[in-house]
Order: sequence, then C-alpha cells, then structure tokens
Amino acid sequence: MPSFTLLAQSVLSGIFVGGLYGLLGLGLSLSWGLLRLINLAHFALAFLGAYLTYTLSTAFELDPFWCLALVPPAFFGIGVLSQLVFVRFRVTQFGSLLVTFGLTVMIESLIQWIWTADYRRLETVYGTASWRVGPLFVPVAELLALLTAAALAGLTWAWLRYTWVGKGLRACAEDPHIAAAFGVNHRRLALVLSGLSAAFAGVAGAFVALIYTLAPAQIYAWIGVVFAAVILGGLGNPLGPLVAGVVIGVSEALTMALTAPAWAPLVSFTLLILVLLLRPGRV
Amino acid sequence: MRRLAAPAAFLAVGLGLLVPAAATLPAFYESFLYLVLHWVALATSWSILSGFSGYFSFGHGAFFGAGMYATAMLATGGLPFLPTLPLAGLAAAAFGVAMGAVVFRVPRLRGELFALLTLAVTFVLATVVLNTRIDGGPGVYLSAVPLPRLGGSATGTLYVLGLAVALLTVATAYAVYHARWGAGLFAIHDDEDVAEVLGVPTYRYKLLALGLSSGLAGVAGGIHAMFVTYVTVAETFSIVVPLYVILMSVVGGARHWLGPALGAVLVTVLMYGVTGGQTAVAGRAVVGLTLMLVILFLPEGITGFMVRRRSNRPGAPAPRPVSPRPAVAQRRPSDTGGPPLLVCSDVRKAFRGIQALRGVSLEVREGEILGLVGPNGSGKSTLINVVSGHHRADGGRVLVGGMDVTGRDAHEIARLGVARTYQIPRPFAHLTLRENVAVAGMFGRLGHRRRTAEREAGRWLEFAGLADRADQLPAALNLHQRKFLELARALASEPRLVMLDEVLSGLTPSEMTDATRLVRDIRDRGATVVFVEHIMRAVMELADRVVVLDVGELVTSGAPQDVMRNPDVVRRYLGTAHA
Amino acid sequence: MTLSIRTLGMLAVALGLALATPVAAVAAPTGPPVRIGSSLALTGPLAATALVHKITGEIYVDELNRKNGLLGRPVEWALLDDQSKPDLARTLYERLVTVDKVDLLIGPYATGSILSAMGVAQRYDKLLVHHTFGIPHLAKYERQFPTWAIGPEPGRTFPNLLLDALAASSKPPQTIAIVTDKFPSVHFMSTGAREAAQKRGLREALYLEFEFGTRDFGPIAARVKDANPDFLWVGAIGLDGNQLLEALKKIDYTPKSHFYLYPAPGPLAKAPEGNGALSTTVFEEHPPFTNGPAAAEFVKLFRARATTAGLPYTAVDVQAAASYTAWQLLEAAVTATKSLDDKVLAQWLKTNRVDTIIGKLRFDGPNNYGDDLSKVKQVQDGKWLVVWPKEYAAPGAQLLIR
Repeated sequence: MPSFTLLAQSVLSGIFVGGLYGLLGLGLSLSWGLLRLINLAHFALAFLGAYLTYTLSTAFELDPFWCLALVPPAFFGIGVLSQLVFVRFRVTQFGSLLVTFGLTVMIESLIQWIWTADYRRLETVYGTASWRVGPLFVPVAELLALLTAAALAGLTWAWLRYTWVGKGLRACAEDPHIAAAFGVNHRRLALVLSGLSAAFAGVAGAFVALIYTLAPAQIYAWIGVVFAAVILGGLGNPLGPLVAGVVIGVSEALTMALTAPAWAPLVSFTLLILVLLLRPGRV
Repeated sequence: MRRLAAPAAFLAVGLGLLVPAAATLPAFYESFLYLVLHWVALATSWSILSGFSGYFSFGHGAFFGAGMYATAMLATGGLPFLPTLPLAGLAAAAFGVAMGAVVFRVPRLRGELFALLTLAVTFVLATVVLNTRIDGGPGVYLSAVPLPRLGGSATGTLYVLGLAVALLTVATAYAVYHARWGAGLFAIHDDEDVAEVLGVPTYRYKLLALGLSSGLAGVAGGIHAMFVTYVTVAETFSIVVPLYVILMSVVGGARHWLGPALGAVLVTVLMYGVTGGQTAVAGRAVVGLTLMLVILFLPEGITGFMVRRRSNRPGAPAPRPVSPRPAVAQRRPSDTGGPPLLVCSDVRKAFRGIQALRGVSLEVREGEILGLVGPNGSGKSTLINVVSGHHRADGGRVLVGGMDVTGRDAHEIARLGVARTYQIPRPFAHLTLRENVAVAGMFGRLGHRRRTAEREAGRWLEFAGLADRADQLPAALNLHQRKFLELARALASEPRLVMLDEVLSGLTPSEMTDATRLVRDIRDRGATVVFVEHIMRAVMELADRVVVLDVGELVTSGAPQDVMRNPDVVRRYLGTAHA
Repeated sequence: MTLSIRTLGMLAVALGLALATPVAAVAAPTGPPVRIGSSLALTGPLAATALVHKITGEIYVDELNRKNGLLGRPVEWALLDDQSKPDLARTLYERLVTVDKVDLLIGPYATGSILSAMGVAQRYDKLLVHHTFGIPHLAKYERQFPTWAIGPEPGRTFPNLLLDALAASSKPPQTIAIVTDKFPSVHFMSTGAREAAQKRGLREALYLEFEFGTRDFGPIAARVKDANPDFLWVGAIGLDGNQLLEALKKIDYTPKSHFYLYPAPGPLAKAPEGNGALSTTVFEEHPPFTNGPAAAEFVKLFRARATTAGLPYTAVDVQAAASYTAWQLLEAAVTATKSLDDKVLAQWLKTNRVDTIIGKLRFDGPNNYGDDLSKVKQVQDGKWLVVWPKEYAAPGAQLLIR
C-alpha cells in the first residue's frame, strides 16, 4: 500500500499541473466561448512569452516576475491586433483554427530562428524551490502558477458576471444582434477580450519558462490536454479550464502514483469519456 | 449530362495519375504523390462524417492508427500484405461503429463535446496500444513483410495503392454527397432534431457515415504502415493527423465532396514541398504565412469560393415555369365524422420533475382541423413534441392511424405521415429552400428519390409563394417567408397529419389572411391539421373543433363557439384579460 | 526594427530557395562535385539535435573542400529538411537517390527516419552511413553502416559496463530503481538494464514505465523517493531526465547515484541538481578523446560555429562526434578505394577497420555492428567527464558517488 505521503504528494503534483492546464486554457476558453474563435496560436504565444521571459531574465537579468509586468501588456496589443484582423476578414470559427495554425507555425519559426531549436532552461531560484509543509513539499513556482491561474480565472469570472462590460460580452456571445440593440458595442468588447486572452497567454508563458525547459516544438505538446480541459470546463467559462485541468491532472497523478504511470492517460480520459456519456448536459 | 461531368473528370484525373506508375519517372514523384494521396484519403474520409454531418471529430488519428496497427500486426503475424488492407479498414470501422453506437445515443453530444470525446478516445486507444501486446513499446517493424508488385517498384506499388484508396475515398464522398442519405447528413449538420422529425434516420445515418469514414481512414493507415515500415505509438497517434485533416478540409471546404481533396493537395504540397535544408526555418514560416493568407482571403475554402462564384454568375437558374399544383387527391373534409387518425391516451411527460403533460387524452379525426389552445406552459408544444416523437412520453400511448407509435423514433413516426412546423422557424441554414423542402419529400412518408423530391419541392415552394427564391439560402428570407418555408417543408411529405405550432404569430393581418387560406388549402388536400394558436380570431375561423389545455391537462374540447363560451375556459385561459 | 528587416530578408530568401535544390558549397578542388545527400529533422520536435548534425556536416564539408575534396573533386552536401517526419524522410531519400542522383548518402537523425532512409537505400542498393541509430537489431540492410558504435546488443553490453563502473566505485549499489520512457530506442535498453541488474543480484526497488511526452513527473518522483534506491536508472530521452530530476529536487530528494540514458546534454549539465548525473557517451571534449589533431580541431571549430548559430550548449558530445564519424567513414572509404561505387565502398568498410575520433570502428559483426565503444560519463562541476572505463576517463576524474 502506498504511503499517505506518496499519495498526498502526487495529488499536489496533479493539482499543480492542472493549474498550468487551467492557466494555458483560460484565454483559449474565453476566445472560443465568447468570440467563437478557436485560437491555436494561444499556445505559440504562450511559448513566445516563455522565451521572452527567458531572455529578459537571462540577458537583462530581470527577475522573472518583472517580466509579468512587461510581456502580458505587450501581448494585449497582439491580441487586439489579431482581433482586428479576424474582424476585417470575417474569420469564421473553423477558419480561425486554420489562420491561427498558420500563425502558430510562423511564431514557431520565429522562435526557432531567434533562439534556435536547442533546449533553453531558465535557471532561477524559483525553478526548483519548495516549501516544506509537514511531510509534504510545495514547489514555489507551481504554487504561484496555481494561485495566478485561480486569481485570473476568478477575476475574469467576476468581471464577466458583475460588470457591465462583462455582461455585455456574455450577451454578445448569446446573441450579438440583440446585444447590439441594447447598445453593446461588440466590436470594442471583442478587442478587449482578445487582448486579455493574449495577455493571459503571456502570463502562462512566464510560468512555463519558470517550470519547464523550452523547445520550439513543445508548443504542440500541450494542445491535446489543454483542449480537453477547455472543453470539459465549458467554453467561455473562466473557471472551467482550471477546474477541469485539476481534475485531469489529479486523476493522472493518482494513477501514476498507484499503478504503472504509462497507463495514466487511460484513467483520466476514460473518466472524461464517462462524464461526457453520462452527463453531457452538465459539462 | 452535367451530372456526369464531375465523375468523368474525376475518372480522367484518376487515370491520369496512373501515368507516373506506368512511366519510368523517378520514384521520388511516386513517393511524393503517394504522400499527397495519403492525405487526400485521410482528409476526405474525415469529411464524410465531420464535414457532411457536422460531427466534428478530433479523433481521426484513432481510426487511422487502428488501421495502421491492424496491418502492422497482421502482416508481421504472417498474413500477406494486401489482404490486411480490407481487414485494417474493417478493424477501424468496427472500432468507429462501436464508439458511435454508444456516443450517438447520447443526444447532446455534438459540436465541441463530440470533438473532445473523439480526442479522448484517441488518447485511450494510444495508451492501450502502447501498454499491451499490440505494441508494448518497441514499435512494429515491417521490413520483413513482402510487398507485392503492382507498380514498377516498391514505391510504385504503394503509390498505386495510395491512388486506389484516395480514388475510392473521393468516389465515396461523391456518392454520399449526391445520394439521398447524403442529403440526410447535410440536414443533420444544420439541425439534427428537425432532420429526425422530417424522417431522417439520424442515428443510422451518422453511424453509417462514421463507419465509412473510419473504415477508409483505416485502409489508408494500413497502406501507410507499409510506407513508413516502422510503426510507433508516438508517431501514429500524434496530434498531427487530426489537426491536419481538419486544416485540409477547412482550406478546401469541408461541405463539398472535393473540398478536402483540394485542401489536402494544397497543404501537402506546401508543407512537404518546402524542404530546403538551408532555409528550413524560413521555409516553414512561409508555409505558415501562406496558410494564413489562403483562409483570410478564401474564408469558405476553395470549393466554397468556387461555388459562390458560380452562383454569382449572371444568368443563374431562372425560376422554373409555373407548373400545376401537386396532384393530390382532393377530398372534402367529412366534417367531424372520420375515424380517429391520432389518438392520445393518458399521455404524460415531465421535465426535471415538472409535469408538462399530466395524462392528456384526445382524438383527432381524419380530415378535421383541430385547434389546440391554452395559456403559455399549458403543454401544447410538449404535446406536439411527444406526438412527433421528438420527446418520449413518460406514460400513456400515442396511436397514429391505429398504429401504436409510443416510444418510436421520430423519423419512424414521420414516415407514417406525421409532419410539424416550429413556432420559431428552424430551416436548414446551409441548404437552399429547394433542398430544405426536398428533405421532407425524401425522408417523409413518400420516400422520394432525391431528384423527384427536388422537383416536387419546387411545386411546394410555389404553393407557399416562394418559388422565385428556391435557390437561395433561408437567411435571405424574412420571418413571414420563413414561416411559409416551414409550411412548405411540412407539406412536402404529403403528410396525413400536420401539426402547426403558431404559424400565425408575428404575421401582419394580411399575411395572416394568406396563412389562414393556406391552412384551409392543406386540409382540402386531404391532410388532417392540428394547430396550436394564440390568436383567437384565427382559431374561431379555422378550427372544426377546439381542445383546451391548461397546466398539462385537458380542460375541455368541442366546437369553437361552445368552447369559448365555457366559463371554465374563460376563467382559466382568458381570466386575466377579463378580470 | 533590425529584427523585422532580417526576418523579411530571410523570408525573401526562403521564397526563392524553398523549392530549389539544396545550395552548393563553394568549391576549391576541381571537377564535377561529389554530391552527398542527407535529410535532417531541421524543423519539428527533433530539431534541437538535428542542428548539431547540420553544423557538424557543414564543418566537415568545408574542411574537405579546403583540402582536396574527395578524389580531388569538390564536395557538395545536398541537405533537406525532413521536418522530423519519418514518412517525409522516406520521400526525401527517394528524391536524393532518384532525382538529385547524389553519389553518397548519410543518414538522417533519429531511429524512425533512419529506418525510412535505410529502406530507400536498400531498394536502390545504396550505401548508407548513419550516425544515431538506437536499435541495432532492426538494422538489417547489409550496406548500412552505423557510426554510433554501441555494438549489436547495447541492451546487454551497456548496462553491464555501467554496473561494472558502479561496482568498482566507492559505494557499490545494492538496490536499483528503473524508471523508463516507453520510447522504442530507450525502452529496450531499460529492460536490458533490468535483466543485467537482476543477474547481478541487485534488488529492484522500483520499476516504472511512463509514456513519451509525460509532463507531470511529480508522482514518479514521489515513488522514486519512497523507493530510495542506491542507484536510479532513468530511461530518459530529451527532457525526461531534467524533468524528473527537477521533480525530485522539488520534493527535496537527491538520488544517491543516478543515470540518464539519452538526455539533453546541455540542460542536464548546467542544472545544479544535475551534478553527479551519469550518462552514456562515445566522445567528450577532453583527453584522451581530444588527443588526436582531428578531434581537437573539430572541437574548436564546432564551438565557434555553434556559438555563431546561437546554440546555448556548444560542447561536442555523442551527437556531434557520431555525426563527424559518419563523414570520416565516408572519406576513409572513398579515399582508400578511390571509388564512389556503393558496392566497392561497402565491401571495403565491411573488411577494414576505420580510425575515427570515437575510436577504431569495425563493421564485421551482426548487422554491421562492431564493438560497443560506449563509455560512462558524469556531470562534475557543470561538465560532462568520462569516468569509465578507466583508460578513457578524463585526467584525474573518477566516478563520484554521494
């Protein structure tokens, strides 16, 4: 029988990796759910953010957390810009998948051109530091990522729910015509949302740089599982990706702790399939 | 003749593609063309389910992989290579159909949820293959498997096989696209519930489409196993296959039989053509940029763009000459004397604990016009939903023409001659008016062939005053016209029982007069009409008999004047107004 | 701004060259060039390592042309990008053989693509020299020549070498934990290690397999910590090693002694927790490997070019050395036979020993594999040093165990 410490430590690990899924999925879910754009380039942006964090932290010796003040605001601009393009060309939902795939490939090439395809590791004090809590260890960077994911998701949720702008956005997602009739300026709201979504990619990128070793092709490694978290969490629901991400992460981590780790995806994704089959309405 | 042009051109291209195999071109061209054809087969097979019926799958890698591993296992197990290919197709199809048989039973599993499910299935399959004796980790190496010679060389052989599966797939897509059940798939794409109610056996069609789609992907996978000769889990079940087939189909236009093939050619040539070693990174950037630009400037894909250009051409199909109204036996209503066509006895239905119908019993006689009235939430629409089979009754029985249809699927009930309209019109958004109406003719009671149904549809559109718009999309219509489209579609199956859900609401007085006339016309053609209505003037004018529902119960029924004088009805239904 | 202009320039160049045949190198010797064809995974998931092979090849070709080329003729390297896709690799080798009609072939990077190239070479009876093939028992073609000299049965020979090294150390391990990726070229080595350990009577404290691409190493780390073995064998490829090691560090566990099969060498050497990590190699940039002039020169050139290319890790190790060896092999065979005939060259390689920077290679064993020239290396003070066998150890270095 595995020890309590082992199980608890594994659950923690699952929660943290789920937090990262949630952080990466937040912007994706917002643009997919509220703007009907499937933004594959979200992953590429996150990695661009990670590489920028890497360079700012190593070449300019900035604390990685200062990068959070620089990269996301810049990415907000990228988000706004891309939304302008989407609107100008009236890109549809599936068209957006393709456009952003092209963009992903371009960003990947850009990264490879500037930073080469070789691995980059940002060595920081946060990278492998942990706090000890009883018999358990809580890794600092992962904890911060989880807290950031929770804070961003919570704030976005409150913003959508309680502010006029947020309500307008949700109304537009339901029916743009009716929302327009009530004076909601969908265009401007969409720009804000797209900017936010890109900024969130920048935030996620900073944490990816703190926690992982970077390589351009890693962009694609996250797509499958983060898509799963985003859809399972309910498109456009800011809290969804985080909750779903944690569920996937913990179920995988527990499988890895208890049985052969190679079987882990079987358990988490069978669980997901069962949820879909038995409670499709509740997803 | 024009119908033959596409297959003929297609055959010519196919035969033309045989030339590289026959000629002594360097093997590279065969090899490269093989890759193109491989993606043509994968993307086209994907679109048979996902493009046509709108069930967007992210799991094509699972079917492809199932075929790949089936061939790998069988061929290394001693079976000759060629016989493994149909088996690979069968294995993948069996896997797909088994999945679909469960998944398609779950009504709300559409859109992104279906995509997620298929993605999850891929992960699960990959994990199983990796951890069992199917692969177990080391990969399967097929170098010892003898390859029969069909083309000049080994690569030529694979090229011929790739060509065969690509042609087979595109031909299948062509056949499905033009077949009756292809029309059914497109109806499912736009509105599955409506399709089912119009008589499309949605479950069976989706399963069939999935079976074909996965089976063809499996065959392509089987061939590809031999092409790469070394089959591993990480390569086979990567995100590449599902992602690329979607990209290719979207670029080409997923709703057209040829679209995914064009998209596959474009993307493959672009991606696999840019391989300069010194410019690899920049080349990749250019590929990304090109993909972006293509879809920015051709948002509907290549075929979408071409189709639109063609329909914008001057001299587009002129309205057909007026033809006589559909020759339906004119039968005077036998007032109230006919045998019961619809019998509901003690029908009950609850939603999440709220009783919408608390045991409603009523009869509708052949040839009558029955008005169904009651305040909002009284259960009128629910009753229509239950009779049409959209909702399954919790209790009680429904008989149509003496046949017990309780619990039957909606499409079976439709085939018995039951049709309905929706309060808020629900046309198939991507089908022209003619196609919209033709769906009813094909799948309703008549079961017309596609061509017949489309011809008849023209007449029904004329009946509804929409003949000049037959080749437009429903988005071009205003509300009044949409309501009439609903009517035309309901009538096109020449139903015995038509249920009209508030056809008059939202119409102007003059439009209402038109509609009232139409309803009478319908009855005069021999149909029995049940109509739900709030507008009392119309009820009094049209109905032979009125049934009043309130909170899921039948309050009273009888001749309109009698019912309207019933104090109970006045209190319940009009109470607030007169209070 | 400079960046975007540079990008535009690159794009313009790319447009022009993307579909054109590979670029010719500048020729000093005379006559029609000897053309050598390759594909490498210059983009896609394997690009990190393929770049090392590209730089190595360019160095070698330039050096050849600076001297007398091959047979007095200039050498031209037709290099294509297989995008890390084995199916595309097949097509590109078919192009190299049937359209570009190159004289000689050098294999691509990574097992799957090499098998693809090997199939093509076999169909056209071409000689194929390849540098990083991990599963010798699959290399069945008689004219393929591996330069990564791991012997015909690395799954048996290498674990024994490693366990010998550990047994001779100050603290021979009593227990072993094996944690392995299920990646094909890694997995069979790990099962080999498992058998070898069993035969030697080491107690197996843990055996775990994980999926290629695993992101969360926390639970695996927790189980390693629970098992607390004397020796940890990690069947790692790419980033697996770093990720597990970081996960271990986060739960405050430092393995007593730890081995990583095919790690990303740079990140592992540079990470503080990588200290003491063991791995396998055939070449490291210290004596005795750099005793020869060719090796010393190559190390210098590689460092310079890798720095220019912007690589974060510029040391020559397994990949670069095996790559260099492939070119040495071709040059030796062509020079000795004065021929470009695949049959003649293959025959010569079969029957001769070739002196290379990784040692004397022979190809007369099963599947043209000769001796297992693997060595055991260890991270000491941020550098990889060979520590076993003793005669190859870096000056003064020995296997350190915590």
